[in-house]
Amino acid sequence: MSSTSQKHRNFVAEPMGEKPVTELAGVGEVLGKRLEVAGFDKAYTVLGQFLVLKKDKELFQEWLKDTCNANSKQSADCYQCLKDWCDEFL
Amino acid sequence: MADQVDSMSDAELRTKLAEHGFPIMPITASTRKLLVKKLKLVLDNKSKPRSSVDNKADTRRSLARYSSGEESDLDTTTNAKEKRGRRATTGGAMLPPAVNKTRRPPSKKGSPAKRDSDKGSESEEEKSGLRTREEVETVTTRTIKRTYAANDADDYETGSDSDVDVDKKTSSPFRSNSRSSDYISSTLPSVDVSTSPPKSSVFSRASIIPTNYSSTYSPSMTSSDNLNSIRSRLGLTSNLADRPSIIPSSGFSSNYSTSTYQPSTSTINEVESPYLSNFTRRLSALKSDPTKPPSYLDRDTNNGSTVLPRRSYITGVNRSDVVDYKTATDMKFLKNNLVSLALVVLVALFFFCLFFMYIVKKNDITSVVDDQNSAIPICQLNIPGNRPGINCVPKEQVSYAKSLLKLIHPELTSRIAAYKCGQPGALPYLTEREIIDIASTKPETTDISQCRTDLNNLQVLLINNPRWGLNVVQLKNLYTKDAEYSTISSTDLIVQHRTKNSVAITLADPSTPLSCLFVNTLYSAGSTLAVIALLTLLALGIQRSYKYYMSYQKRKSEEIYSMVEQIIDVISQETEDSGEPYISVDHVRDTLISPQNREKMASVWDAAVKFIQRNESRVRMEVQSVDGEDCRVWRWISAHSSPKRSASWQGQAFETQEGSVNNLVVSPTPCLKIRHMFDKNDDTTILRMKIQDAILEKCDSNCNILHIDVDRTTCCVYVKCASPADAGVVYRSLHGWWYEGRLITVKYLRLERYMQRFPQSPAAGPYLTPSRPARRAWPDQ
Repeated sequence: MSSTSQKHRNFVAEPMGEKPVTELAGVGEVLGKRLEVAGFDKAYTVLGQFLVLKKDKELFQEWLKDTCNANSKQSADCYQCLKDWCDEFL
Repeated sequence: MADQVDSMSDAELRTKLAEHGFPIMPITASTRKLLVKKLKLVLDNKSKPRSSVDNKADTRRSLARYSSGEESDLDTTTNAKEKRGRRATTGGAMLPPAVNKTRRPPSKKGSPAKRDSDKGSESEEEKSGLRTREEVETVTTRTIKRTYAANDADDYETGSDSDVDVDKKTSSPFRSNSRSSDYISSTLPSVDVSTSPPKSSVFSRASIIPTNYSSTYSPSMTSSDNLNSIRSRLGLTSNLADRPSIIPSSGFSSNYSTSTYQPSTSTINEVESPYLSNFTRRLSALKSDPTKPPSYLDRDTNNGSTVLPRRSYITGVNRSDVVDYKTATDMKFLKNNLVSLALVVLVALFFFCLFFMYIVKKNDITSVVDDQNSAIPICQLNIPGNRPGINCVPKEQVSYAKSLLKLIHPELTSRIAAYKCGQPGALPYLTEREIIDIASTKPETTDISQCRTDLNNLQVLLINNPRWGLNVVQLKNLYTKDAEYSTISSTDLIVQHRTKNSVAITLADPSTPLSCLFVNTLYSAGSTLAVIALLTLLALGIQRSYKYYMSYQKRKSEEIYSMVEQIIDVISQETEDSGEPYISVDHVRDTLISPQNREKMASVWDAAVKFIQRNESRVRMEVQSVDGEDCRVWRWISAHSSPKRSASWQGQAFETQEGSVNNLVVSPTPCLKIRHMFDKNDDTTILRMKIQDAILEKCDSNCNILHIDVDRTTCCVYVKCASPADAGVVYRSLHGWWYEGRLITVKYLRLERYMQRFPQSPAAGPYLTPSRPARRAWPDQ
């Protein structure tokens, strides 16, 4: 990945706390709404799923795709975002 | 198989996944579905070979899954169906009719997808019952067009399985993209609404867009560059590039775009809708509305592959247009510039001519003199005050006077020029005598008295006509060559001065000739420059010398400091090495400075010596007699200069070595009693250990000590050695030594007494060893 988005940098810059799921890179309003419907209303719940899937890129992207119909770029962004966050804070 | 997977328990699922090389991970409610799906996929892939015709649909499905997993935006056909259904419902229910127009192009773009599904399997076609009739129609028309436009490899009748594969490969990237755009536009009503505001402006410009587009479109079709650009854009924006069938797919997309554009002339509705959609997209893309970056991002990423080719057409055309326009405006600008430039040049020429004429006119004396407006006081006989040559001129002599003036004027001008140019001896005036001389040299003059009269007349005329530019002046000093004079303004004064021969004629406002002016200016400028240069040089010199002085001072002080450091090093080193507490000053100098430098470094040395005397507390200067000669010495009085020996053992009070009085020849017993190693209030907890270490260190492993103990009440230390000889060694090394400011005394003790006191003391090895390896003093408690 050549560069990261501002959203990505914002997210990775600090602990996620109680941030909503839309703060994740690659998750916009629409995907955020769908994730909330699926029960993932906070970023940390998505992180939990990410961790349960053992930070596996393929599975996480697949899951995101299934859960909120994210496309590959969005899911890759989200994956990268969580991964960088974990590298920083976990 | 699939049912089997579905009904598996968590543990079975986990083992199955592990068998197929998946990482083992917790199976929770949220992950189970995903993992089941994965497992199914793997099992499907394994169990079903691709050649089987019966499993065609399943193979397709798995392929679709693969592509979704790897690159495309949307995965399975069921998903697509679901979305299509959703699109249809939202299109019908949620959106107002006004939005319908912008929403039309996606639905049209979605039609190839439908074509795909048509081609793929009829069952899917049947299942997607939510589609509206209108869409089906567009689908059919599209399919027809596409049959003509698409390449031969696109076979709709999926007769053989290989055909399906090829077709799948070529079409699937496009299909997935079109579906995604389709899907996004339908499920993102907010995005559609966000693009609807610019729509009005688009409508107002609608007449421009189609012409622009149609004109640009036909070249872009043929140009291979644009195709390439499309290809690259396609490759960049979506992950299609890594598919082997990239060229067919790009060709496909271009073909597709032709098929969308060709029929666009048929009906108004179709003409407007693709352009509008494209334009709105482009508009939103170009505007890059900062308030809605995420929505723009979504749109762009989803529509990227379908929008970008067109965008590239547009940008290409725009670029060439801009270039044309630029060259045209350049030429026009040059033309305008030429006219204005010519005008400026003309004006400049005009003023220059004016200036030139002015200069020429000014020097033309004859025209001034012959002017009719000159005031000429003619002598009239009936007026008593009139005196010819003093305040009036006889009428017949006016012309003579004027001719005299014309005669002397060039001479006068040249004189003044010479004076102004600073020629030596040149004077800015003509005296009466000189004028008469000039006049008499003329061949036509006959009489000097006549010249004199003419001159007088001329003076009268000049005073009466100041505007002729000449003045009659009275010289201040006749004999020196000064050019001091004052103007005479009345005819009466002339008579007074005429007798003194101090009347002269000069120009009222002498003008300096240009060359002279130039030279003068140069000269003055040169002199000013010279002065400035001189001053600058002076300042520079002062600055340079100041800098040099400062650096010299710095160097000198650095030298002194380094010398001081060297001296102190030498002093501390020498006093430590030689044992003498002082060292001769001259000796230090001679060790530090080589003979050839001694004279040169004398000042540095003296300064260093002074510095040490003033500022160095560790060195004291005194006079000592060295070898019978008094000389200045430096005494090293450093607080921490004493070598770091064992802090506990401070030296020997008296000899205990072989042959001394205190040395017993024979050691009678192996046991020793040591006094004064500590006193009563010396009650540290590690006292025993400390004393043991001190003794062992002192004896330095050349004796074998079996046991050491401390009696706190009597302040004695008891030592039991392996043999009487060892006890002798300990005795000699400890007896008579200072230990922590106390003098140690050692006595032999009979073994029976020792055993009485310490019955548990060992009779044989192991021998005691120091608790610490290094020979160091105990830290102060």
